[in-house]
Amino acid sequence: MVLIQINGKMVKAHEGEMVLSVLRREGIEVPALCDHQALEPGGSCRLCMVEITKADWDGWTKNVTSCLYPVEEGLIVSTHSEGVLEIRRNILDMLLARCPNSDVIQKLAEEHGVMKTSFDTLPDSDNCIMCYACTRVCEVLGKSAISAVMRGHKKVIASPFGDAPPDCIGCLSCAHICPTNVILWKDENGKRTIWNKSFDLITCKKCGKETISREFADYLLEQRDIPADYFETCDDCKRMELAFKMGGLVDGAEEVAI
Amino acid sequence: MTPDVKQIQKIIDQHHGDKSALITVLQDLQRKFNYIPPEGVTATAKALDVPLSKVYSVATFYSTFSLVPRGEKIIRICQGTACHIKGADLIQEQIEAGLNIKAGETSSDMKYTLEVVNCVGVCAMAPAVLVNDKMHGNVRCEKALKLVK
Amino acid sequence: MRIDSIPKLEKWRKKCQREYNSRKRKIFVCLGEACLANGSAEVYDEFKKELKKRKLSDVQVESAIKTGCHGFCALGPLVIIEPEGTFYTKVKVKNVAEIVEKTIKNHEVIDRLLYKDKKTKERIAEYGKIPFYEKQQRISLRNVGTIDPYKISDYIAVGGYTALSKALTDMSPKQVIDEVSKSKLRGRGGGGFSTGRKWATCAKVDDEPRYVICNGDEGDPGAFMDRTTMGSDPHSVLEGMILCAFGIGSTQGYIYVREEYPLAVVTLQNAIDEARDSGILGDNILGTDFCFDIKINRGGGAFVCGESSALMKSIAGEVGEPRAKYVRSVVKGLNDKPTVLNNVETFATIPVIIDKGAKWFAKIGTKTSTGTKVFSLAGKINNTGLVEVPMGISLREIVYDIGGGIPKGRKFKAVQTGGPSGGCLPAEKLDLKVDFDSLTEAGSMMGSGGMIIMDDRTCMVEIARYFLSFLVQESCGKCVPCREGLYQLHKICAKICEGQGTMEDIELMEKMSLTIQKASLCGLGQSGPNPLLSTLMYFKDEFITHVKDKKCPAGVCRDLIKFVITDDCTGCMACIKVCPVDAITGEKKKIHILDQELCTQCGSCFDICKFDSIEIK
Repeated sequence: MVLIQINGKMVKAHEGEMVLSVLRREGIEVPALCDHQALEPGGSCRLCMVEITKADWDGWTKNVTSCLYPVEEGLIVSTHSEGVLEIRRNILDMLLARCPNSDVIQKLAEEHGVMKTSFDTLPDSDNCIMCYACTRVCEVLGKSAISAVMRGHKKVIASPFGDAPPDCIGCLSCAHICPTNVILWKDENGKRTIWNKSFDLITCKKCGKETISREFADYLLEQRDIPADYFETCDDCKRMELAFKMGGLVDGAEEVAI
Repeated sequence: MTPDVKQIQKIIDQHHGDKSALITVLQDLQRKFNYIPPEGVTATAKALDVPLSKVYSVATFYSTFSLVPRGEKIIRICQGTACHIKGADLIQEQIEAGLNIKAGETSSDMKYTLEVVNCVGVCAMAPAVLVNDKMHGNVRCEKALKLVK
Repeated sequence: MRIDSIPKLEKWRKKCQREYNSRKRKIFVCLGEACLANGSAEVYDEFKKELKKRKLSDVQVESAIKTGCHGFCALGPLVIIEPEGTFYTKVKVKNVAEIVEKTIKNHEVIDRLLYKDKKTKERIAEYGKIPFYEKQQRISLRNVGTIDPYKISDYIAVGGYTALSKALTDMSPKQVIDEVSKSKLRGRGGGGFSTGRKWATCAKVDDEPRYVICNGDEGDPGAFMDRTTMGSDPHSVLEGMILCAFGIGSTQGYIYVREEYPLAVVTLQNAIDEARDSGILGDNILGTDFCFDIKINRGGGAFVCGESSALMKSIAGEVGEPRAKYVRSVVKGLNDKPTVLNNVETFATIPVIIDKGAKWFAKIGTKTSTGTKVFSLAGKINNTGLVEVPMGISLREIVYDIGGGIPKGRKFKAVQTGGPSGGCLPAEKLDLKVDFDSLTEAGSMMGSGGMIIMDDRTCMVEIARYFLSFLVQESCGKCVPCREGLYQLHKICAKICEGQGTMEDIELMEKMSLTIQKASLCGLGQSGPNPLLSTLMYFKDEFITHVKDKKCPAGVCRDLIKFVITDDCTGCMACIKVCPVDAITGEKKKIHILDQELCTQCGSCFDICKFDSIEIK
């Protein structure tokens, strides 16, 4: 346990923990677009910047990204100093120029008092803020089907050669984790399409509902100790099945399940 | 012309599946074929057991890699600071106009590829132009085109 | 031949020295990149042919020696004849026979090939007497230009690996680090961090293996000292690294060389092979228990890989994206192991410090910046090339005494130091004593030591735009402030160059620059706005002129200027010849006519005109 001070209040933190995770636990709101609890911190959006100092720093302060800065005994953090707010406003100003049509960015910018970007907006913006959440989650899943391509301002998230990525299993993790909802996908007629790749969807053998892609199911079966027919029924039907089983034990459970 | 798969494999195999050799493998492929053939990217990923997307990411991140075939003559115009203030832009304009290609492009007859490089370190001889690794210093704008043709 | 003990190394040294000195008269032909570009390889071949043809007994064929760069690149190809030290400039193949006949055979000096002092108009015969060399003190460049970089025996003959044998015989690893600490050497790569402290911290980390990395990714445009050292004196870099490895307890080192330096890779690889064969690298160095080897990694053309964490990722075969350095690389560096990373010049200086002692070194330079620093002079200056001078020398001495001033009698306007992380200093700062701290205080940076001199034909707004454009191309794109912020700054600056800027634009640039500095993830972004901010600090008037008057005083920004031929035109036809778009017509001795419709405002005519009869409007 280490003791740190946040906005004047003494707070306990775990050794090795990042400042942002303490802020989250304490309910202190700090914007962070590239942060996700399932992922290692990346430090690319820079919005979670806070000001730190220590008693023996002679008043000297430093701006750090809270998602990457490990707590240390005696650390003094301020999350809403004027300097930090100015940085956040300016970064949102830059993001708004890049993604003028993103609801998420617009709302966040407005909350910080940035109503309109000071810059010329990017003409063909796709609302991607290059936070790498999608590529990181894909890596965590052990696939790394997509990656950041090119560099600098030309950098985009893409599949190798822009083709259907051979390693993609259609799990949709990238689309779900994307903070600005940029990654498009479609489920239609038993097929799922994402990254220009098409997947067969499993239909629940009980209710006929489409569930996950066949390749995703195969991948999970290969990775984990799961019964071979586990994915042949949908979650709802599985729950129902369980309720029926339990119905024998508790009266009325069947009706509740239905 | 499709690059010989065997040749690609031979180059890759020299590195015995060492993941950290990724950049070197791509450099070796480019040296052999003058660009990195897509087949080479795929084969590299397989041989080094690195995800294809990561190999592609590396191949597009570093500016010296080319994923498309390049011309017989590769002309590199230095745009370092010293070259810049001594008129590298003018030289670039002259060469672009003369070869009818922009920086980063290859002429349709596959004779010339024009590239821009951020400093080759011969600042004392600015402005500099490289033609297939042959260095030319103190290049005069009006003579630039003759030099590369 | 493998040397398996220190006494044997000293015995071998005697032999090397005999061989080195036996070449009675030596003809050094500079094969540095700049001289090569001017045909010095052909001059070298011609010397060999000529000497062979004449069968000169005391001047053996070998006595035409390939050397690395002599630094005085403006006058290449350079040839120096020892022992007299006769210094010939701009030597062509056709001069070779004459040099052999007159200078080698008859000890005559050929006057017209000697260096001519621009001020006194005197011809100077001797290498050391030329002002360009006179003020220099060469430590890092000590062997550059005087030994054959392909021969380890040459390096050993001039005292190479003496420091290593001293460390292995008389010193403990800790003593080596202490000596470096006491010398107060600061890293020559840009940041100026204490080298000794870096080594000491790394040595204390309880983790293994430890790595030594030499940063040869000299990405700052305008800096070329590291390329020269790697290509002309590779063993001094190796020796520095070996000493570091001995100090911190490392067994594996890497040299990361940028892709643009193919020659350096060849010389370094040759040096590594020779050192391995001689028992100076590899297992049981010089018969001791100490083992260390070095591998070369080539970069792929990315400026950001000069940043330590990006460089380490690149060595591991990954995309060169930096990581946040709240945990330092001396603790967790390459493969998350303790790593010391220093640049080429730093490592090349180490052997001298160990050999001559920290006290000797610390006496040179200033109190906080000890020793010497290599600067590369380029741009609008007469004597372009490499100079090594004690820290604390004034900019004026570098620009005027060593650099010989500004060509064509034009006016000095600014000196750019520190590359894309540094800034532009104006004439008022010419008396600044150059060291790490004074440059930072003045709003620039030491960086790796590039110095680009600018005259009144350089537009400072356009220079700021140029650096921003460079950084936009070279940003890795990982974090928002660097990727989006620098992109926007470049767009605004380009707008000002086109005469479309407003005063609000200037304010916006200043405001955003501060956020980019504070919020970027790595050094590239944090220092990225420096060139812009320093030009705004010293040359704001020029920005305002572009915005308010829609004029470019330097005559560079094409949308804002017009070239006009005045009545003073003598009709010399020089401008007609240089105009790339044939916009100027006219006859000899008649006033020429410039067609404004065709003119692209490139300024070639203005620069060539000797009679000041072209004006910028």
